This record gives sequence, structure tokens and C-alpha cells, in this order.
Amino acid sequence: MTSTAPRQSTGHQQSLRTEILEARSVNLDGFVEEWPEKGLVAMESAFDPAPSVRVEDGRIVELDGKLRDDFDFMDTFIANHAIDVTSAEESNALPSAQVARMLIDPSVSRDEVLAVTRGLTPAKVLDVVKLMNVVEIMQGMQKMRARRTPANQGHSTSARDNPIQVAADAAEGALRGFAELETTLGVLRYAPLVAIALQVGAQVGRGGVLTQCALEEATELELGMRGITAYAETISIYGTESVFIDGDDTPWSKAFLAGAYASRGIKMRFTSGTGSEVQMGNAEGKSMLYLEIRCILMAKGAGVQGLQNGSISCIGVPGAVPGGLRAVAAENLVASMVDLECASGNDQSFSHSAMRRTARAMPQLLPGTDFVCSGYSSVPNADNMFAGSNFDTEDFDDWNTIQRDFQVDGGLRHVREDEILQAREKAARALQAVFAHLDLPPITDDEVVAATYANSSNDYPFRDVLSDLKGAQSVMERGITGLELVKALESSGFHDVAENLLTVLRQRVSGDLLQTSAILTADFVPLSAINDPNDYAGPGTGYRLEGERWEQLKKLRHVTSSTNPETEVG
Amino acid sequence: MTALTRDDYPLSINRPELLHTPTGKPITALTMDAVVSGELSAEDLRISPETLQLQAELAEASGRPQLAGNFRRAAEMTAIPDADVLAMYNALRPRASTGAALAELADRLETTYSAPVCAALVREAAEVYERRDLLARPTGDDD
Repeated sequence: MTSTAPRQSTGHQQSLRTEILEARSVNLDGFVEEWPEKGLVAMESAFDPAPSVRVEDGRIVELDGKLRDDFDFMDTFIANHAIDVTSAEESNALPSAQVARMLIDPSVSRDEVLAVTRGLTPAKVLDVVKLMNVVEIMQGMQKMRARRTPANQGHSTSARDNPIQVAADAAEGALRGFAELETTLGVLRYAPLVAIALQVGAQVGRGGVLTQCALEEATELELGMRGITAYAETISIYGTESVFIDGDDTPWSKAFLAGAYASRGIKMRFTSGTGSEVQMGNAEGKSMLYLEIRCILMAKGAGVQGLQNGSISCIGVPGAVPGGLRAVAAENLVASMVDLECASGNDQSFSHSAMRRTARAMPQLLPGTDFVCSGYSSVPNADNMFAGSNFDTEDFDDWNTIQRDFQVDGGLRHVREDEILQAREKAARALQAVFAHLDLPPITDDEVVAATYANSSNDYPFRDVLSDLKGAQSVMERGITGLELVKALESSGFHDVAENLLTVLRQRVSGDLLQTSAILTADFVPLSAINDPNDYAGPGTGYRLEGERWEQLKKLRHVTSSTNPETEVG
Repeated sequence: MTALTRDDYPLSINRPELLHTPTGKPITALTMDAVVSGELSAEDLRISPETLQLQAELAEASGRPQLAGNFRRAAEMTAIPDADVLAMYNALRPRASTGAALAELADRLETTYSAPVCAALVREAAEVYERRDLLARPTGDDD
């Protein structure tokens, strides 16, 4: 959010200390007072409904103070699909404090919590999480996250939509540890080339990394159907009927789309977040978190495996009101406590203050989530076509250090320069070969060298954009699929990359990645909430950063040797 | 065959013998040699309805009935061509279809594609859209 001009002092002499504080970056951020009547309030509003539920003949006839005849389409969808009718009355009758305590009590298992939460109404869920402070929210997240092993997602984009940059940065991002990589475009027609580049680069960096290209629904689905991308997440849902309609969708159209993705073997999650309804001008006087809980339950009812939430592109809104980031942490917890995969935000930039940016991520980084960021900019923010992320390439070493300081796994690791250069060069070479094989505009050796050593899109030779766009169009017209990419890689000597991509493509035949919170390990083992369920049960249990992974995360760019203080290890 | 349990997951590793492409090839036939020799088409890299039913069993066994329901709708949708799937999605957007058009769509899902679970979703949508004024008006009845 842009801030308004600060109030000027009138005539009074300002202290030197005030001048210093005025100049601090945090004072460039925007802050506003709450306005509950308009929904500009995080999670404590007198206008939110009180919880209630009544079931007759196996059907919910009253939900949070409304009778079925008065339900809007969100109420209807949630009542018909999200809430377990057999347990609803009993679960909602439990005191909210008891449910909140179950969430943080290590002697209550995740499954026991789910047996209760599957019957809760949106207002009841809100009533429960309102009792929790941010540390309790983190405790809840630690236990309720669906997958035992946390992971991270990166953005790999280019301000010039330069496919070579995207390939090289994807390779580096994959090597650094992102389990998923996402791209999008400045010029949408570039999408096929950039999506190909992302896929090839990712499989060079680390086989099994999943890629996606965020576009409007039809093209995004088409690239997925062709096997050029592996998953999708920009399927937006909203917490009020009016805003949902403004987005030209309904819960039923989105539920249908969820089925469409699964029918093509493509992993998919929805996207929602606090603040979107008030930002789009129709929060219907409800708090941001109440509306987000409706989204979460709608996603659950649609049978989609997961959700990207945590305010996402609206983070400036909750970020501007009191308790806003507590509400953001709470919405991640709610997604996890109703058993959805949670890609937990920490993506769009929202603050000028480095201290505030770091603090914003703690409720997700410390307990761990399915994807701590959704995503972290694995390109410089100036190249981030998702409007910049809360973290970017300049923060890699800080992130790695924080992981090491607190012994927490945020999904990344320090990688030595020589390995990075090798991966970047190989990605650019592999893409060069693929482009040549597919008769796409050539990639020069100069571009490969640039990609190896570059930081940002400014460090690359200009592409012939018109030729590229023609090439991109021909990819669509010729019906090029993931299979052609495999052939191109194999026939040009990139056998290992070809095998990696084929293995990713083969996964869609098995459908294993459709299950909740699924990622692919470096050994191509699908890891989901089924075979890697979160088994946290108090100190010493659940995911612990230890063994080989902890040894990896102890490494930083500069660590002094204990045996020879004159040298560095790593 | 007995129902799958959580221990069968991941199917690609624990139960590959259950997995076939829509063209009837076993998943083990999806090798690099087969790619290079041109034996495989894009159709071979799609998921089959049977596999989606297996994943639905796993979702059910893991306490995720809604996810299982989504996989069952998806199993039905494997028979629907890509362009038709997108057209059906567009037909479900607010005020995109009349009540009659949605009723026809539901019938077509049932009769042409043997997709009763998808048809039920469309019929439910039609009912809610009518109540919430989200149906398109019949042609000739425009304001």
C-alpha cells in the first residue's frame, strides 16, 4: 500500500530523535484505523454472525443465524458440501475454548482435532481462533499442517519475459530447495516459451520440482493439459457472493474446474485471502477473517486438495489494520485445521521495513507450513511479475541464516557458487537445445554465458521479441506437449533432464500428486499427507530438523572453521 | 479386489500394477525408449478414470470425503474433450446460462458422458442460481 503524506508538524520544533524515527522505512508503510461497518477490520467485529447450526433430515437448515431460505450461495455451498452433517450439531455445541485448547494440546492428535473441525460452521471456526494469540496459532499450525515435512515455493519470472532467464533462475531456485516454482508473464503471449523454460530449468536444478504458470483459467488449464506445467494454483475464490460474482465465478463453477484439473491428472489448489473482499469493495460488513474462513470452507467443500492463502496479493489491507498479521496467521491455521494443504502466503511485498517483512513470516516459518512462501521471489524483485515478493534473491543468505539460527526448516539451503553456476549454465544450454530442436527462435552462446552469471533481466542480451512471440504462438498451434520436450532433451544429450521430466509427466498417470499436500522428492517419491502425515504430538515428535538435512542447513556462505580459524568451511 | 488403504500410497511405487493409461498401457510402459521410438502419444500421459477412482478410494480411506468426491467427478470428466470441459465451466459462470441450458447440460453429462455425479453438481447449481438470480434470461427477454 502506498502511504499518504505524513502529517507535517506545524511550528513546533521536532526532536532529533523524531526526525530519525520519521525517516525509518516503517513510516513509509500505510496504516489505517478499523472501519468494521465496511469490513475494514481483521478478525474482531461486532458485525460478524454468532455461530449456530441446525440439522433436519440430514440437511443443514440453519447456519450461523440464517435459515436456509436466506442463505446466499456461499452459505448454501458450505452447508451442502463442506460441513459434516452427522457431527455438526455436536461439534458446534463444544465450547470454543475447548476446541481452541484441542488445537494446541499435544496430547490431542491431529486426527482427533479433525473429527471436530469437520463439523464446524464458519462463525464457530472464527469464534475458536479469536481466542488464540499468535503463539497459540503457531502451536496449532505446528500440529495441524497436513504434510509432516515443510516445503517452500518460489517465483521465477522475468521483467522482459526472457525465457533464458527464467530457465536459469528456475534451475538455481530448484537447487536451493524450492519444491514448487511458479511463473507468470508481463506479455501473456510469451507464456508457452516461459512455461517451457521454467519446466526445463526446474528439472535441471532438481528433478521432481513441480512448476506452474499463472494465467487466466483457460490457458493455464491448457498448458497443464499439455504437460508443459505440472500444477496450478491461481484459481481465486472470494468470501462474499457479490465479490465472487464480480470475479465471474460461483462456488459451483470453481468446483467444476477443480474436477477438470483432477481429470487431467493435474495438481491444483485454490487461492483466497483476507482483505480481498474489502479491497474489491464488497465485504458486506464482515471481518476479513470471517470472510476468509468462508473461502476456506468453500474450498474444502469443492474437494480441492489445498489452498494458497495468507492474504496473498491483498496483504497491504490486513497489514494496515490492528491485529492484521495475527489474522493472516490465523487464516493459514484454519486452512490446515480443516485438512487442506496450505501454501501460506509470504509472497506479495507489503512493507518497506526489513524488520517487519521478517516478522511477518515468523508465524509460518517457525512452526512450518506445507509451503512457507507461496512464493518467495527466486528472482530479484524488479523481475518479479507477481508485483514483488516479501523475500527475494537478495534475502537468500538472511533466510538461510535464520533457518540455522532457530534450527527451523524453511525449505531452502545454501548452495556453493560453483554448483549454482553449473546448474544455471546447464539450464540455459538445455533450453538452447530444446529451442533448436523445436525450431524456435535461437538462443545464442552469449545468452548462455549471460544466464550463467546474471543477476537480473538487465544482464541479458535483448531478445527479438516479435520472433519469440511468433515462436510462442507456434508452440500452441503445433500442439507441442511435455512429451516433445522430453524428446528434444533426450535427442540433444540432456538425458538426465529428459528422464526427470518424463518421470514428472508419468506422475500424472498415477494421480499420486493429486492427494493432499503432495510434492515430489528428489528421488521422485510422492510425499503427501497420506504417506507423510503430520504426527506432531509434543516435544521430540513430528518433523525435526536433524540428521543430514540439519547438516545441510548448518552451511552458510561464510562459516569459520573450528579447527582452523583462519579458514572457512563449506 | 479389496479396497485400497493408506499403505497402498503412493500407487506409482507401491501398486504400479494397478495403473494404466487411458490407452490401456501399463504405467511401466512409459519409458524413455518408448518416447524416443514414437510409441507414446500425449494420450498415453493422461490419467484414466479407473486411476481416479483408486485415488478416490485412498482419499476416502484418509478421511477426505470431499476430495474423494472431486476425484469421482474428475473420473467422469476424463471422457469429456478439453474444449467441452472449458465450455461447461464457462456455462456455469454467473448469468452465463438459462435454467433450461443448465438442465440440458446436466442431461448431456448424464446421457452422453455417463457423468451422473457431475450432472448432480450442475443441477444443484441451477437450483441455487435460480434462487439467487444468477441465471441468464432466455433470449428475447433482455432488458
